[in-house]
Amino acid sequence: MAKQPAATPTSPATGLGTDDSFRLLVESVKDYAIIMLDPEGRVASWNAGAERIKGYRPDEIVGKHFSCFYPAEAVARGVPEQELRAAAKEGRFEDEGWRVRKDGKQFWANAILSALRDKDGTLRGFAKVTRDLSERKQAEEQIQQQAREIMELSTPVMQVWQGVVVAPLIGSLDSQRTQQFMERLLNRIVETNSPLALVDIMGVPTIDTQTAQHLIETISAVRLLGAQVVLTGVRPAIAQTLVHLGIDLSGILTRSSLAAGLRVALDMLSLEVVAKNGKP
Amino acid sequence: MATENISVIKLRNLLLVTVPPDPDDQTVSALQEQVLQAMAQHECRGLVLDISTVETLDSFFARTIAETVQMVGLMGGRTVLAGMRASVAVTATQLGLTMGKALTALDVDRALDLLDSAPSGDGV
Repeated sequence: MAKQPAATPTSPATGLGTDDSFRLLVESVKDYAIIMLDPEGRVASWNAGAERIKGYRPDEIVGKHFSCFYPAEAVARGVPEQELRAAAKEGRFEDEGWRVRKDGKQFWANAILSALRDKDGTLRGFAKVTRDLSERKQAEEQIQQQAREIMELSTPVMQVWQGVVVAPLIGSLDSQRTQQFMERLLNRIVETNSPLALVDIMGVPTIDTQTAQHLIETISAVRLLGAQVVLTGVRPAIAQTLVHLGIDLSGILTRSSLAAGLRVALDMLSLEVVAKNGKP
Repeated sequence: MATENISVIKLRNLLLVTVPPDPDDQTVSALQEQVLQAMAQHECRGLVLDISTVETLDSFFARTIAETVQMVGLMGGRTVLAGMRASVAVTATQLGLTMGKALTALDVDRALDLLDSAPSGDGV
């Protein structure tokens, strides 16, 4: 913005291009609030986008200090002045945060503040370009919340027998989920005093070296407690992948199904399932 | 024609697989696939690979068998290679081909004995 005067003639009053089409462009843009501030931070010009995003008409706002766009606590902390100083010093300041509309509602904004200087380097004011990113912010928050919920949902650890817990893993395992899964599994093992844990990977779509590494870590952690893990639900495709990737699961008990794993577990606990009529 | 020659028989809690005399790469791959599917279906504790009719053996065969042994191990089964011919054993040794962690037996009968006495496929 500061270099613009070289290409377009400037009017001393505003520093904006005098070219009508250029002014029309700035004034008509509706998706961005493009406004000018004087060196003290009072609003000097106002475009259609600013009116749409912030709710003020030009005659209501021109001449007022731009701190009225900030929430009260930000003003109390001196944020608007800090931003002006930063823009004056660095030439440019970018920020994302909550801003206030005329009706008092808050919106999430991305704002870029640029210092406007004339040829002598005297500060003539600031250009402030603001975008309303509330929708994006909302979408991001929703995604984060859903991710948290999915994480909560997807790693249950259940006790299926005295001394046996089952943890069905569903979906892919990243390091964050592994961390959470590991904590939950270890806690449940301690809580239920179970020497055996069945980790079922039937619901894991694909396995890569990282996922396998996470699994191996979890299994080592369980062993430190003095419990054993049986990895169940090893589908043909998973078995093939593990071997082709050269992942070494030697020393880890693995079974193709949860039922087979449960049999191993009961066997290790010296338990036997006997039919009621007395035949095994 | 490749896959027709493979027979995968479920015998009690074991799988008995007869490898055709002169298996090409495709047959060997198909064999691996069928064995694993059968393992998933029947939850067998062991696999006997009858290779008594196999006359020649190449590195692909050896590698695929070694891999299959590991995969079956991951699915909870032990593998026994039964009835390898003397000439094949000589070739395999000369070529430096190993069959991984497979157990071996002179014939299918002894393989069944071996699987009965051995603990199920842990730690393979």
